[in-house]
Amino acid sequence: MKKTTILDLVSRKLAPFMLLFGFYLLAYGHTSPGGGFQGGVVIASGVILLVVAQGVDSAESLFPSPALSRVETLAFLLFIGAGLTGLAAGMGFLGNPFAQVDVQAVPRVGIVLVLNLIIGIEVGSGISLICLRLFREE
Amino acid sequence: MVWLLIGAIFLTGLWGVMHKANMVKKVMGLSIANSGIILLFVYYGSLSGDTAPIEGSDRVMVDPLPQALMLTAIVVGVCVMALALVLVYRLYLKFGTLDMREVELKSWKLHD
Amino acid sequence: MKHRRLLLAAEVTVLALTALFLFGALRGQHRESSDIRGYIIERGSEETGALNLVTAIYLGYRAFDTLGETIVLLIAVTGVLYFLMSAEGKHEEDDDT
Repeated sequence: MKKTTILDLVSRKLAPFMLLFGFYLLAYGHTSPGGGFQGGVVIASGVILLVVAQGVDSAESLFPSPALSRVETLAFLLFIGAGLTGLAAGMGFLGNPFAQVDVQAVPRVGIVLVLNLIIGIEVGSGISLICLRLFREE
Repeated sequence: MVWLLIGAIFLTGLWGVMHKANMVKKVMGLSIANSGIILLFVYYGSLSGDTAPIEGSDRVMVDPLPQALMLTAIVVGVCVMALALVLVYRLYLKFGTLDMREVELKSWKLHD
Repeated sequence: MKHRRLLLAAEVTVLALTALFLFGALRGQHRESSDIRGYIIERGSEETGALNLVTAIYLGYRAFDTLGETIVLLIAVTGVLYFLMSAEGKHEEDDDT
């Protein structure tokens, strides 16, 4: 895509804020509108802005494809592991053991926050991996 | 009144899938119809209350169940669109054109 | 030319029938609250621990749907990488492990 000054400047200043907004939606997903899927897609759209405006090679040096694919599979395995801790605490697969039992150090939301973060990382890295692969021109 | 607009969105997508010969335009029509159906569900779920379903407000809350189901539907729609576009790209590499009628003719010749 | 006109008439017929069906199904009053809505609004945040009720649904009551959806995303990414990599024909980086 032909590089113009406006596109170059705006994308460099705006993309970190988009990534930060995506992480905000992930982390506050249990008390305000947002959550795993929404935050993950906003993170992916920040990466796509960098890909469209700066070119695939410079965006790929920030988010390399082998690292993204390993992060995605690791997040999926962590999701299953987090479900198994609910099984170990006696509330069934993917249950929240902190809703009934009152532990002092852990807030009541417990495993819901952890699951939101895992889902957000997985969705964000999956969609940016698809788009990094589709934007290559050769 | 809103259901007329939602029906128009769905019919636009359906028309795009049926009538256009360019394969990328067919896939875009499918995506438009997908968005229309998701809007339908979320709209009819929002009729039964005033405010968003977050604890700590004293007004009547909307139905949270259609919104939660449409989250999964949106992500599945994105995955289907990505795979459809990749298949269109592979067809373009093999036959050299994006027109559906020419691809049909050439694929019949390939098997003779 | 006749083939094209027949096709156009068939498409318009399908559109007209769909429009008629949508008109009949969406018009009029609908029952505006489902039975499960009362239960979720009352007991949702104490049973799952999340204040956002939509999060309480898709990570508390129906967490298996979320698991299935992550599996769908993984398979879609694998499919896209496979089709594009065999189109290029060279292996420059390793695949979704």
